[in-house]
Amino acid sequence: MEGMTFIVKNTTRILIGIIFMFGIYITFYGHLTPGGGFAGGIMLACGLILLTLAYGKNFAFKKLSDFWASILDNLGAFTFWLIALLGYTAGYFFINFIEKANPFKLFSAGTILANNIAICIKVFASVFAVFLALTIFGRFVSALINSEDED
Amino acid sequence: MLIYFLNSILFVMGLYCLIAKKHLVKKIIGMVIMEYAINLFIILIGYKDSGIPPIFLPDMDKATFLQQSVDPLPQVLVLTSIVIGLSVLALMVAISLRLYEKYKTFDMSEIRRLHG
Repeated sequence: MEGMTFIVKNTTRILIGIIFMFGIYITFYGHLTPGGGFAGGIMLACGLILLTLAYGKNFAFKKLSDFWASILDNLGAFTFWLIALLGYTAGYFFINFIEKANPFKLFSAGTILANNIAICIKVFASVFAVFLALTIFGRFVSALINSEDED
Repeated sequence: MLIYFLNSILFVMGLYCLIAKKHLVKKIIGMVIMEYAINLFIILIGYKDSGIPPIFLPDMDKATFLQQSVDPLPQVLVLTSIVIGLSVLALMVAISLRLYEKYKTFDMSEIRRLHG
């Protein structure tokens, strides 16, 4: 599959950095403003879907193939469990063991920042993997593409 | 009271789409509309008259914040519910694609007639 026209490719090339940066900003300030890990991960996944639509599937495969999407997915879940397990050093399971000083700054609220980042990575990889499974790896679509090429 | 009534109208519209339409994608859209109505109902429970959003800004004291802000707990639970709705939607679309590949139609009455 090739991409779209020249105008779409140039507009995507300008906008894609802003979309990724906005998704990361929503994730990192999740404990102060509305948002958090899930909303930031969805924004990153939609940015990568825009890249797939504008430049073709081979370009997006070089960025994030299905093997690495699965690895990132499991890594996010494993990091979440590891942060919860590190609470045993300060008391009980899943305790907020990092110090919670200076309110309204980035490094307050303890382990919520690390948990938001883990959730963002997991949701980003999962939603992009679901998009790949439904559109590129689905047998229905690939059969349709093959029958189009035979004409 | 009026807004709960309107919310139930939204739910019944989604239920009508799920039951009475024959096309499979329209049934999926009906189920998504029902999910929206349920999430909206859970958020509406925590509303307070002339309330502010539950965000604690630096130039606010705690007493007025506790008195005036909307309840944030239903919003947190609805976030989980939205994520579950997304996964169920992905599974529904995958199953409907597989049904199309097997029966060559999206019409639910045709699918019930072709056995195996």
